[in-house]
Amino acid sequence: MKHFLRVVTQFFVFLYCKCLWRGLKFVTRKFTGRCELQRICYGNKPGARRTLKIESSLRYSKYELLRSALSVHPDQVEKTIDDIMALKKINPDTNPQLGVSLQASLLQIVGYRSLMAEVEKLRREPYDSENAEHESMLMKLWKELRPDTPLTGRISKQWCEIGFQGNDPKTDFRGMGLLGLQNLLYFAEHDRAAALQMLQDSLQPKHKYSFAIVGINITDLAYSLLVSGALKTHLYNVAPEMAGLQHFQQIFCYLMQEFQRFWIEEDPSDIMEFNRVRSKFHRRILRQLKNPDMALCPHFSASDLHLVNL
Amino acid sequence: MSKFVVCSVIFPAIIISLFPWKNEPCHCLLQGLLSILRKLKSTPDQEVRILLLGLDNGGKTTLLKQLASEDISHITPTQGFNIKSVQSQGFKLNVWDIGGQRKIRPYWRNYFENTDVLIYVIDSADRKRFEETGQELAELLDEEKLSGVPVLIFANKQDLLTAAPASEIAEGLNLHTIRDRMWQIQSCSALTGEGIQEGMNWVCKSVNSKKK
Repeated sequence: MKHFLRVVTQFFVFLYCKCLWRGLKFVTRKFTGRCELQRICYGNKPGARRTLKIESSLRYSKYELLRSALSVHPDQVEKTIDDIMALKKINPDTNPQLGVSLQASLLQIVGYRSLMAEVEKLRREPYDSENAEHESMLMKLWKELRPDTPLTGRISKQWCEIGFQGNDPKTDFRGMGLLGLQNLLYFAEHDRAAALQMLQDSLQPKHKYSFAIVGINITDLAYSLLVSGALKTHLYNVAPEMAGLQHFQQIFCYLMQEFQRFWIEEDPSDIMEFNRVRSKFHRRILRQLKNPDMALCPHFSASDLHLVNL
Repeated sequence: MSKFVVCSVIFPAIIISLFPWKNEPCHCLLQGLLSILRKLKSTPDQEVRILLLGLDNGGKTTLLKQLASEDISHITPTQGFNIKSVQSQGFKLNVWDIGGQRKIRPYWRNYFENTDVLIYVIDSADRKRFEETGQELAELLDEEKLSGVPVLIFANKQDLLTAAPASEIAEGLNLHTIRDRMWQIQSCSALTGEGIQEGMNWVCKSVNSKKK
């Protein structure tokens, strides 16, 4: 009986909160003459603060149109915003900035979803040694990381020098598939100096680890940050509209360098401490991303940053 | 407007006066006491330390995640080790999965102490490395700290067409010459989960018979 009463109480409290929330929204709307979306856009500067609020406002809206806007196709964003403005009876002529702001935010929101789909597709594509494209990417990775040493053969002990486990890297990509390889290659190509430095540091006897394997592990970390939605803060702050795969790859480069720094700071006695350090690092990044003004600052050259802003 | 006043002020007042909030702390305390009593009553599970070893890419981590009923779709090569506790047949199995990469193998010995059962995982489709995996196994069986420890060999990856059958692997590894301990070879697929339960049943059985 007691249990039943508790459930009933909880139900009424929930109903009450819902009523109160709707009531409050109704009153503020009457007082300010603006709907919630307008208030969010006027009260918050562009970036994660604004977009995160818009996202939750849309998600919990009572209108089907607003809720479904979250999963709309990127090409439909403009039309959806017009529909929302019409539904909310907002005059676009008196609020010219609002439509633009809403559109940018909605693009960020649907962009995150499409980035997730893109990353997932790459992850699910297993490394295939019969595929010439995959093979040439792997060879390119070697050339970038070991420009002065030619590879003696496709199956070679040399792969261990850049931190694969054995003679043939193909079995090391595992659950990260092509995503792991693409990330490593992006790091080696676009942030070459940092990657080479990190590779060299990974061979120091004191803080030894396997560069490529750690790269695949950090890919898993970046992937889980993306899937859990933790990267929204960063991407909404960094990408003014839709985020692309290169944003994800830059996050990977940042995480690699931060991890290297963290690893040395933690001063582990040997590689067996890897998972302990990794989960501590994961928690630290999650904590950082809780701050809506946070952006994981990739140390990129100006030309690459320009690419981001396009 | 009057509707709003009714909603936000009078309605909650009625609810609060209707329900016995004051009883809640008492209720929680009672439940807490009950749960403590319940815990005291049941005997704690016996802990079993299981060591999961084998070459890299053998499927140790996949096996571990299967045992713990976790998602196996994004596994990465193990740097260091993973550990999970699984309840099974009245035992608390603490399973240690240590990376199998050549560079990590020297660290295996740090985990030998107090091991109750050794599980050795073999990639049945990787015929090129049968010799290497046999050597590693032979070295493990010679270890003083592992003497008399029952060993279960999982002939993994039976879902692959090219996989060698367990009998062939047993012969290749000369398993029948093991006399100083209980041993068992079990064909399995960590990917589909086939054969794992049979293997774990043997593990629990061997722990039971060792106790006696």
